[in-house]
Amino acid sequence: MTQETDIREGVDRETVETVQNMGSYKYGWETEIEMEYAPKGISEEIVRLISQKNDEPEWMLEWRLQAYARWVEMKEPEWALLDLPKIDYQDLYYYARPKSMVEKPKSLDEVDPKLLATYEKLGIPLKEQMILAGVEGAENINLEERQVAVDAVFDSVSVGTTFKEKLAEAGVIFCSISEAIKEHPELVKKYLGSVVPQTDNYFATLNSACFSDGSFVYVPPGTRCPMELSTYFRINAENTGQFERTLIVCDKGAYVSYLEGCTAPKRDTAQLHAAVVEIVILEDAEVKYSTVQNWFPGDEEGKGGIYNFVTKRADCREPRAKVMWTQVETGSAITWKYPSCILRGDDSSGEFYSIAIANNYQQADTGTKMVHLGKNTRSRIVSKGISAGQAQNTYRGLVSMHPRAKNSRNYTQCDSLLIGDKCGAHTVPYIEVKNNSSRVEHEATTSKVDDDQLFYCRARGVGEEEAVALVVNGFCRDVLQALPMEFAMEAQSLVAISLEGSVG
Amino acid sequence: MAASEALSARLAAQPAGPGFDAGRQAAADRLAAMGLPGRRDEYWRWTDPTPFNAETATPAAPGEAEAPLFAEVDSLKVVFVDGVFDAEASDDLAMGGVEISRLAASEPAWATGLYGALEAAGQNPVKRPFAALNTAQASDGLLIRVTAQAEKAINLVYVHKSEVSDPVLHHLIKMEEGAELTILETGPAGARFNKAMEVDVAKGARFHHIRVQGAEQDRRAVTHIFARVAAEALFKSFTLTVNGQLTRNEAYIDMVGDDAVAHIAGAALGDGKDGKFHHDDTVFVTHGALRGESRQVFKKVLKNGALGTFQGKIWVKPGAQKTDGYQISQSLLLDEDSQFLAKPELEIYADDVKCSHGSTTGAIDDTALFYLRSRGVPEEEAKGLLVLSFLADAIDEIEDEALKEEIVARLEDWLARHRS
Amino acid sequence: MLEIKNLHVKLEDEDKVILKGMNLTVETGKVHAIMGPNGSGKSTMSYVLSGRDGYEVTDGSAKLGDTELLDLEPEERAAAGLFLAFQYPVEIPGVGNMTFLRTALNAQRKARGEEELSAGEFLKLVRAKAKTLKIDADMLKRPVNVGFSGGEKKRNEILQMAMLEPKMCILDETDSGLDVDAMRLVADGVNALRSPDRSFLVITHYQRLLDHIKPDVVHIMADGRILQTGGPELALEVEKNGYAEILAAHGLTEAK
Repeated sequence: MTQETDIREGVDRETVETVQNMGSYKYGWETEIEMEYAPKGISEEIVRLISQKNDEPEWMLEWRLQAYARWVEMKEPEWALLDLPKIDYQDLYYYARPKSMVEKPKSLDEVDPKLLATYEKLGIPLKEQMILAGVEGAENINLEERQVAVDAVFDSVSVGTTFKEKLAEAGVIFCSISEAIKEHPELVKKYLGSVVPQTDNYFATLNSACFSDGSFVYVPPGTRCPMELSTYFRINAENTGQFERTLIVCDKGAYVSYLEGCTAPKRDTAQLHAAVVEIVILEDAEVKYSTVQNWFPGDEEGKGGIYNFVTKRADCREPRAKVMWTQVETGSAITWKYPSCILRGDDSSGEFYSIAIANNYQQADTGTKMVHLGKNTRSRIVSKGISAGQAQNTYRGLVSMHPRAKNSRNYTQCDSLLIGDKCGAHTVPYIEVKNNSSRVEHEATTSKVDDDQLFYCRARGVGEEEAVALVVNGFCRDVLQALPMEFAMEAQSLVAISLEGSVG
Repeated sequence: MAASEALSARLAAQPAGPGFDAGRQAAADRLAAMGLPGRRDEYWRWTDPTPFNAETATPAAPGEAEAPLFAEVDSLKVVFVDGVFDAEASDDLAMGGVEISRLAASEPAWATGLYGALEAAGQNPVKRPFAALNTAQASDGLLIRVTAQAEKAINLVYVHKSEVSDPVLHHLIKMEEGAELTILETGPAGARFNKAMEVDVAKGARFHHIRVQGAEQDRRAVTHIFARVAAEALFKSFTLTVNGQLTRNEAYIDMVGDDAVAHIAGAALGDGKDGKFHHDDTVFVTHGALRGESRQVFKKVLKNGALGTFQGKIWVKPGAQKTDGYQISQSLLLDEDSQFLAKPELEIYADDVKCSHGSTTGAIDDTALFYLRSRGVPEEEAKGLLVLSFLADAIDEIEDEALKEEIVARLEDWLARHRS
Repeated sequence: MLEIKNLHVKLEDEDKVILKGMNLTVETGKVHAIMGPNGSGKSTMSYVLSGRDGYEVTDGSAKLGDTELLDLEPEERAAAGLFLAFQYPVEIPGVGNMTFLRTALNAQRKARGEEELSAGEFLKLVRAKAKTLKIDADMLKRPVNVGFSGGEKKRNEILQMAMLEPKMCILDETDSGLDVDAMRLVADGVNALRSPDRSFLVITHYQRLLDHIKPDVVHIMADGRILQTGGPELALEVEKNGYAEILAAHGLTEAK
């Protein structure tokens, strides 16, 4: 019977179990820890202070100041489909670090136990024998084979990075960006800002001026990174913005898979997160970048939550470079994020898989840009947007085929699902084709959760809310399949949790 | 020059026609508030409005007279030469089931409040300054009130004779309950043409529109259709554009009644060879009622550096449940130099809907071309067949078979003349 | 009728050689079959003969009568009397089957210096042919191959063959994707078109099609050339024993 297969596809036992264990936002607790703050607001002094706190060389400070000078001149962007409250950029902290991190711990053993406990509770123990173990079902995985190195960022600083030595043996550099600025200045100088220029956009420029920490990855030529790398971002302090910067460089013929997770406590006031991720991919190299974004989305009335303004871009700089972005966006009050691919090298390829769920008063505006510059370049976009409650969910994307990008291909599939009659789902693709040997195909659909599928589930005894989660997971399966295993499971449970209260 | 001065100069160069003082004044106020468009405006990012902003029209040589279209169709012919009504060449403005008069000659009571009202409604959320300009300044046009099944079609024939003509025409059509009318439009209207057509389709009424924009290379045109479609009413519009240096066709279709149906289609063929070809379709379909069905089908065939753009939106307002919205925009690029820029949008605020859009761009399918050639069809002819195949979905939106055949013949003629 | 000599073909974009010195002669009025394992170059041969892009002939010739095919455009080959029944007939939405047939037929007639058929003459002819081939008139009205079943598509190919009256017909795996009944209908169509002036080259994987279209000569093809030639019994032998023995005799293995 076809209906049965329709529902079953992409929905497995784990999902059903996860759905049954649904809870509301479960990362909303806060860590009581003594913090040190820079004075509120942003100014040249604050930029200098951040640089000084990170013990940075002069060139880095100059770079920041340049960005700051530009930012002051820039105007905050306006968007058609986002209802953005005025952000007072002088009323938040740009730098907050636990006092116990003032003296940088030499090893993980020296890290403040409160911080270690925080990550333990988040399911990201900073120990080297374990994987992202907080994820339900992870016990079924062969642990030896699934080691994941973690860089843990707490408010403005990196707390620690696991498996550094093991990675170093393979020649892979994985550390906080503040450390890289000091230890590997030649790499940072060469690549920082080379994908997302200082002046790229309002939030990227702000980030360039005041980023406090983030992760740095360098995979040398011909190296397959021996384990997955991940950064876990936690915003804990109140009224604090998090401005992290990630730089990944994958040299010729290298490969790395990188995971990113994010959470924050429940608070009544909104908080700003403005990150920049730059990825440089050289000849024949491949990067997979997966995100499960679960910032606090605000409460049922739309109070609080994270404003998530992120600039992520990968530059396939040389022939046959490959990048794959996968994202599951369930959190944040407002998401503004377009992980993009510059397909500069001939035969390079970019993929973008996205699930964006917006419930209650969340607003998600996300998508990708595929800029085809080289010949025979390929890109694929699969976007699944789910809107519930009073939420607005927008796919915004660009596919651009330049005159030189002969024989290139793009395929885009954008599907939206609406749950309830108070929400909105929007699709705003820009397609620019400037040569005729390339082929671009775009398809988009919008529909509601299929009544027949829901009824079928319920006739088998599944409650309405769980049935919706099941069907939605099925709707998302193309993207879930693109995620690394641990993340896929976490993502499935997130889908269920995010949609809580969306029916009835 | 400041923006307001530029606008004053633009308006001064083209004095307003008589009558409809209130409607014209309201439009002038709208225009003053929004100003003339620029490249920074979201919906002008791909089309440069400068030629339409300019005080006077860029001169355009009238081409050879085209063979008349729809000559065999039983119709009431109305001729405008460079925007000026040609009484000699036109039929009597009278037929059963229809009241017709000229904008420049009368102001019937039914038209006073309606003139400019649909244009005004269509200014949100996207500004359409040239439409407001049209309402404020139009020199002439037809006022048509249809009370029953019209006896025959109204055939608007535009003739371009003056190199510097700059006509502004505004047609207002009120379809009363259950009425039915077909409007045909053909020909290049002038060097620079600004046209607005407001169509109010009452409950159960049926409106058909088939337009062929003239084949002259140099002409420029910005046109607007504003339609309000009531319950169980039908609105259908098809446009064939061949050549033209710059054409911007805007449409705003507001589906206000339950079970309304609106189909809008366009086929554009552009050869950039003898100048430029820039063709822009900017289409909004707004669903504000239950069970509406809308289709947007836009196809472009581009060669020799021709550029096509499509900006289309299906906008489903809260409560417009059971909407069935469909949109397809496709371009066939016949050579390396041509470009297609598209922004197919969905904006949806109701959950029980079925909406989809698709957009494709590419060259002629090699396999299909080989298949045809392997059957003995020469390459150019095979390409022609594939172009027709590509355009078929749009042309199929023309219900009347005889009219459809004329359109296909015109297409074939263009293809024959524009082989590489 | 058809004479292929020492034909060498590689892919245009890759350094992959597909045909490696193929020789084949099909006499007028005869039916030849070519069998062979996957990847032997059978379909490539049919595409190269009919002039599809993407292949580069590095050596050899292919003549239809006195005409060198390889110098001609695809439509010129068709006008010269070559017809390829596609393994996957192409769908052309928006172009009616009748329009397509008439365009093709008149283009060929024109190329040969014959008078084009009027709409009336054409209609009469197509109706007659469709009737002989037991093809439903409804199929003629629909767009070319759009929404046709696998069997309908193949029968549409046969109808085109009947209309265009080629001298040399190549059937590229015409049986693929057909059930027994559909295959019989297609084979009946082909048999109805057999004549002393017309030759056939039937490319197939399986012997079963040859039960219905009886060949005069059977060739076994592998590795881009003809390995063995025989009578109808050769097909039966392959059906029974597979290709392994024949391949082995030429120093080839099946899974290469």
